[in-house]
Amino acid sequence: MSDDDSAKAIRAWAEAHHVDRAQLERWLALDAQSAAALLDAAVRLRLRVGQLQRAREMLEEIALVERTQATAVLARAPLKRILEGAGPAPARGRAFVEELRAMRFPRLGRALEQIKAEVAALRLPRAIEVTLPRDLGSDELRIEIRVRSAAEFRESLRALAERTDGMERILNLLGGET
Amino acid sequence: MSFELDEIVIEERCRQSALAVRVLSRAPAAMSVSFIADARDAIRPAPGASDPFGAGKRRMVVMERRAPFLMACPAGSSEFACCGYLVVVLASNCPMDCSYCFLQEYLADNPGFQVYANYADAFDELERAMRRAPGRALRVGTGELADSLAFDRMTDISRDLVEFCAARAGVLLELKTKTDEIDNLLAVDPRGRTLVSWTLSPPRVFASSEKGTAAPAARLAAARSVLEAGYKVGFHLDPVIAYQDAERDYLTLLDDLFDAISPARIAFISLGGLRMTPALRSAARRRHPHDPLLCGEEVLAPDGRYRTFTPLRAALLRALERRIAAANPAITRYLCMEPPSIHRRVLGQAPASAAALGAALAGR
Repeated sequence: MSDDDSAKAIRAWAEAHHVDRAQLERWLALDAQSAAALLDAAVRLRLRVGQLQRAREMLEEIALVERTQATAVLARAPLKRILEGAGPAPARGRAFVEELRAMRFPRLGRALEQIKAEVAALRLPRAIEVTLPRDLGSDELRIEIRVRSAAEFRESLRALAERTDGMERILNLLGGET
Repeated sequence: MSFELDEIVIEERCRQSALAVRVLSRAPAAMSVSFIADARDAIRPAPGASDPFGAGKRRMVVMERRAPFLMACPAGSSEFACCGYLVVVLASNCPMDCSYCFLQEYLADNPGFQVYANYADAFDELERAMRRAPGRALRVGTGELADSLAFDRMTDISRDLVEFCAARAGVLLELKTKTDEIDNLLAVDPRGRTLVSWTLSPPRVFASSEKGTAAPAARLAAARSVLEAGYKVGFHLDPVIAYQDAERDYLTLLDDLFDAISPARIAFISLGGLRMTPALRSAARRRHPHDPLLCGEEVLAPDGRYRTFTPLRAALLRALERRIAAANPAITRYLCMEPPSIHRRVLGQAPASAAALGAALAGR
C-alpha cells in the first residue's frame, strides 16, 4: 500500500470510529510505516478508540525513549504474537495495550511483580486483603480485615502478627528498599 | 551567556526609571523597542503564536509591579514538608527553556518576561517583614518565578539586592540560577548575607531538557568563583529525573560537585523528584515533543501530580542522600515538595516544621 493509500485508509477508519481530529492528526504525524502498522493493529484487534489512543501514545513514548520507530516496537515478538494470535479480538486488544504498558513502564512492571509475589507468599487468610497503591504511586499499603465475630477478628489479628516480617518486607519494597 | 530577545516593551510610566534606562542602554542597537500605556496588555499570550509561552520568553517587558513583591513560595503546601522560603518577585518568566519547568503552566496566561522597574519597593516590603519578625532569620529568594541572574548584565538588579541585604542582619538572600552570569556578584561584598544556589543536573539532563542554560561544569565554575568572593553556595538537585542510569549519572554529578567545592563549604543541598501536574505534563510534552526525559516512569500520585513511581523515586533519592552524607554528614539536606513519608524514608526523619528548616537554612 502506498503512503497515500495508507493515509486514506487511516482517515476512513478514523471516520468510521469517530476519532477526533486532534487524535487523527497525531496518528498521521507518525512516520508512514508506523501509522500503517498501527492501523493494521487497530483492524486486527478491533481496538476501541480509547485503546487506540492509549496505544498510540505509548508507542510514541517508547519510540522516543528508545530512539526507534513505532513500527519497530510493533514488530517485537510479544506484540507480534498478540497481533497474529488466535482468540477473540477484544481479549487480544486488552492484552496488546497491557503489553505496550509493560514496555512503556518496564521498571514499574518489575517492581509490581516483585511486590505482588511477596504478597502472595504471605498466604493470607481470605478475611485479610492487602491492596497495593495504584501504580505504586505512593508507599501506603491498605490492609483490610473483614470479620463477623470476635473470634474471626482475633484470628485475623493473629494471622497478621505472624506475618509481621513479610509485611515489613513489603513496606520496605514500597519505599524502594531491597 | 547571551539570551535572545525579539523585543523590549517599556511601560510609559517606567520610561524614566533607572531600570528602563539601563536596559535600553545595554540592548543591542537593532532591538525592537516600543512603549505602551499599560504593560499588562503586553504580557498576555501573543494571539496566533504557535508557542505563546516561548514567545513570551523573548519579549522583555519593563513595567511597574502592582501586586506585593513578597510572597510565600508557591511550592509550599500543607501536603509537603517545606522550608518556609519567601519569594521576592522581581521578575517573571525566564529566557531559558527547561522542558520540565513549572512556569509553563504557572505563567501560561501571562508569559511575557516581566522585569519590574519599581523593584526598590520590594526593599520596603522586606524591611516591614523584618520588623514584623524581629529575631527571626528571614530566608528570601528571587529565583522562583524567574532565574535570579538571567539578564543581570542588562538589569544590574542583583547588585542592589545584594547590597541591601549586606547591610541588614537577620536576612539571608538566596539567588537561584542555572546561569553563570556572576559578574555583578563579584563586584559587590555580600558580607555573608547572600547565598547563591545552582540547580545542578547531569550532562544528559542538561543536553536533553535544559535549553539555554549554562553547562553543568560552567555552573560549578561559577559557584567556585562566588564562593571565593564571599558568598555562600547551595545546590538543588531538583528535579531528579529517574531515567535509566540516572543513579550513576547523579552520583557522578555529586562527585564532580565535591571535587569542585569542598563539602564543608556547601550551605545546603536540596533534592526533589520530578513532579508535574497533568496540565504541566501536557504543556511540557506539547512544547518539547522530542525530550525523552519527559517520558519516564511517572504515575499519578495521590497529590494529583505525575511522579516517578514511589519505590524507584525513594531509592534514587536515598542513594543521593547517602552519597552527600558520606561526603560530609553536616551538610544541611532537605527535600522539596515530597511528602513526609518520603522524608522519613530518605532522610530518616521528617523536618520538624517549615520554620525550623527555614531557620536551619538561614543560619548556615
